[in-house]
Amino acid sequence: MTGARRVTESALGRLGLSGRALVVAVPLVWLLVFFLIPFLVVAKISLSEVTIARPPYLPLLEWDGLRATLNLNFENYAYLWNDPLYGNAYLFSVRVAFVSATLALLIGFPMAYYIARSPEPRRTLLLTAVILPFWTSFLLRVYAWQGFLRSNGVINNTLISLGIIDTPIVMLQTDFAVYIGIVYTYLPFMILPLYANLVKLDDSLLEASADLGGRPVATFFYVTLPLSMPGIIAGFMLVFVPAIGEFVIPELLGGPNTLMIGRVLWNEFFANRDWPVASAVAIAMLVVLVVPIMALRSAQARAEEKR
Amino acid sequence: MKRGIFLPLVTVLGFVFLYAPILSLIVFSFNESRLVTVWGGFSTRWYGQLFRDPQILNAAWISLRVAVVSASIAVVLGTLVAFVLMRFGRFRSRALLTGMATAPLVMPEVITGLSLLLLFVSMEQLLGWPAGRGETTIIIAHITFCLAYVAVVVQSRLAGMDQSVEEAAMDLGARPVRVFFDITLPIIAPALVAGWLLAFTLSLDDLVIASFVTGPGASTLPMVIFSKVRLGVSPDVNALATIIIGIVALGVGIAMWQMRRAIRRDRE
Amino acid sequence: MSQPQPSLAPKPWLSSEATPFVRIQKVTKKFGDFTAVDDVSLDIYRGELFCLLGGSGCGKSTLLRMLAGFETPTEGRIIIDGQDMAGIAPYDRPTNMMFQSYALFPHMTVEANVAYGLLREGVRKAEARERVAEMLRMVQLTQFARRKPHQLSGGQRQRVALARALVKQPKLLLLDEPLGALDKKLREETQYELIRIQETLGVTFIIVTHDQEEAMTLSTRIGVMNAGEIVQVGEPPEIYEFPKSRFVADFVGSVNIFPGRVVEDEPDFIRLDSPEMGGTIHVGHGVSCTLNQQMWFAIRPEKITVTRDRPDAEHNVVQGLVEEVLYMGNLTAFRIRLDSGKTIRATRANLSRQEHEPISWDERVWLHWGDTSGVVLAQ
Repeated sequence: MTGARRVTESALGRLGLSGRALVVAVPLVWLLVFFLIPFLVVAKISLSEVTIARPPYLPLLEWDGLRATLNLNFENYAYLWNDPLYGNAYLFSVRVAFVSATLALLIGFPMAYYIARSPEPRRTLLLTAVILPFWTSFLLRVYAWQGFLRSNGVINNTLISLGIIDTPIVMLQTDFAVYIGIVYTYLPFMILPLYANLVKLDDSLLEASADLGGRPVATFFYVTLPLSMPGIIAGFMLVFVPAIGEFVIPELLGGPNTLMIGRVLWNEFFANRDWPVASAVAIAMLVVLVVPIMALRSAQARAEEKR
Repeated sequence: MKRGIFLPLVTVLGFVFLYAPILSLIVFSFNESRLVTVWGGFSTRWYGQLFRDPQILNAAWISLRVAVVSASIAVVLGTLVAFVLMRFGRFRSRALLTGMATAPLVMPEVITGLSLLLLFVSMEQLLGWPAGRGETTIIIAHITFCLAYVAVVVQSRLAGMDQSVEEAAMDLGARPVRVFFDITLPIIAPALVAGWLLAFTLSLDDLVIASFVTGPGASTLPMVIFSKVRLGVSPDVNALATIIIGIVALGVGIAMWQMRRAIRRDRE
Repeated sequence: MSQPQPSLAPKPWLSSEATPFVRIQKVTKKFGDFTAVDDVSLDIYRGELFCLLGGSGCGKSTLLRMLAGFETPTEGRIIIDGQDMAGIAPYDRPTNMMFQSYALFPHMTVEANVAYGLLREGVRKAEARERVAEMLRMVQLTQFARRKPHQLSGGQRQRVALARALVKQPKLLLLDEPLGALDKKLREETQYELIRIQETLGVTFIIVTHDQEEAMTLSTRIGVMNAGEIVQVGEPPEIYEFPKSRFVADFVGSVNIFPGRVVEDEPDFIRLDSPEMGGTIHVGHGVSCTLNQQMWFAIRPEKITVTRDRPDAEHNVVQGLVEEVLYMGNLTAFRIRLDSGKTIRATRANLSRQEHEPISWDERVWLHWGDTSGVVLAQ
């Protein structure tokens, strides 16, 4: 039998405590250095002036040997505010993300429901089939849609050869193609949380509703839908949030006028080499989009904890 | 809900929507013609061209290395985060850690990429490290955003685990570190595997962040594909896609087979 | 009801010389504003099979977890076998616990589960294997040694959990609702099994349960808990027949309670005036009370006789109307509405297989109880 040893103020106790601190410190320091501090750097550079140099911005703090001068430059933000391009890009991104998430919900809900209600071997198989595309390269799947949507692409060729249309429909390089691309890419992210929620839905609840006189439509709106709300919210956010900042899909499928904010930032940085303005765009995006989303999420988490 | 034709119909159409583009990629990878959309007879010439393209081979190698290293480190750090948040109760900096561990999940890639690049530039100016950018900086960036995904996966597994099992081990004389390695780790192992695979895929798939933080000479596979695709049709990309899809399908097939076998063994 | 005899001195709690094995002294546990355990003091003796009985949230599990070392008392001391447990981690305590969920390690075989604790204290592999085999023989699981927990039935898992906790030969075994997850029949069998093992090994058991029947059958003594406090400690018959409060009377078994005012207080009897009863209650022994004090009279259903004709007795006779008759096999339960409007429960053992004209619904009947059958409670 273990002799009960006293571990009060002993070295062991202190060692245990510092071991605990170490376990916390490793990821904490990593995230501080590589996640939090970078935003401070972005904020700093968003306040500096662009120049042709390496790196292409002027330092905030100048030291001429006698005194330091602080060159705070809010022009980049004023520029964002005054040029309608940026505001429009923000609004357009939110709209695209919202519409895409709604479309994904409309397609994803019946699919998730059907999969969740399927008998066992089929259920796992279908679920795997939903996840499978996710494991293949996202970029290549967007590229596949290029081949589908272009004027001499699969869809137009099929329609023409069937005699349904004479001249190809322009689909690639339109907003339509962007919606398709986003819904396509993020559909699994909608289906998975919905499935996880619907599979837990107790059959006897549906039976109880039917027993109490609820027709299928009533059962759906009064029982199934309210109970699957957490899944709907989770799925919606999983599509909506990454879609806002999307760069690849508008770049490859959209036209030159499909200006989503992620693409604007990319161009500002890589094409114009204007690091300060790109930084200002990032900070604005952070404040306008990311912070509200984070707040929403933590509010949601707290609400769930209370339940 | 109506038990009619509606649900199966939407499901079938949904799967057509998900798989038709992938199938067309595969079909046209065996196309003789350079046009990706016109069938010009069966050929494997694009596969040959792919394997003679040093740029693609090199990029694939870099991507694989980056993905393996960053997924492995992200699993360790992500598991630490999850464990600390689920088992350490209250401590100072808990809110900070929670925030920093969940924020990458909602952070647009362009912002993560830009901020890390600016960090690396500033660090180089101030500390002289990292000298230039390349594989190392990509790995650091990938660890940072993959860590959050691993933490989520592991956290949900820890939450679903009966905590009294850990207490039982302690009651039987195991010290905390021992409990972690004897009990907690084996029980959450499936989540670690899932987290690793997720991180590996995310890293292998990432174009935006890598484009920001890379330097000369370190082009990952997505970067090479992106530049090819942006220039127009390239059938060798189809060939590459087919190979990737083949590997993934094989992997998933093996995993499912293994799972079935494990379940059958348990039943006996 | 068979009472297991403690393995050492009979009823050490009655002797003033016996040293308690576990001493819980003024222990309080608070979680934030919530007081889970409130100033509990309790002595438990070597070889006892002590039951902590109470409803959910009464603090019994928290008390058990403090003994195991998973929670630290906010105030007070816990002493086990003469040693203060303050600052001693669960892995260094001479106690082992059987968890309510059993908490078997899902990734280990039955054998590995049972061996785990031995290996942690440095027992050599060969010896551990022997002791595990012996333990598995004792709980009749030898042929399941190589199985994983999820391949076992509920009863088998329960026995693995017991074997795992016992193999280390702890001084004190803590059992958290050990029979809670088993069905009724298995529970009864396992109760006797637990008593047998406890007597064989002579280990001190502390059992947490919400099931009063289980507590009655198993324990040497019962501690009834309510809202974080121990409200009464005693041997099972004492708890049942001499409850100290309405809470205990009501929680353990079924009871009829009538409020009443003391109208006569003599050394060898008292009388209570109870409008709810519709008369006075005669109690045939002295009670420490004062005149006009508000008291409660508690009487168990089986102590009330139900007859068609007026019984030949001076006191404690009332009339009522049968509202409900429940045939329960071994006995018949009546619900009878008194003329005062209050309903009362009474049971009658079914001594013969067929009764000539049994008492039925809507009959007026007489109720009677002996003048020492009930208890007078001050709270």
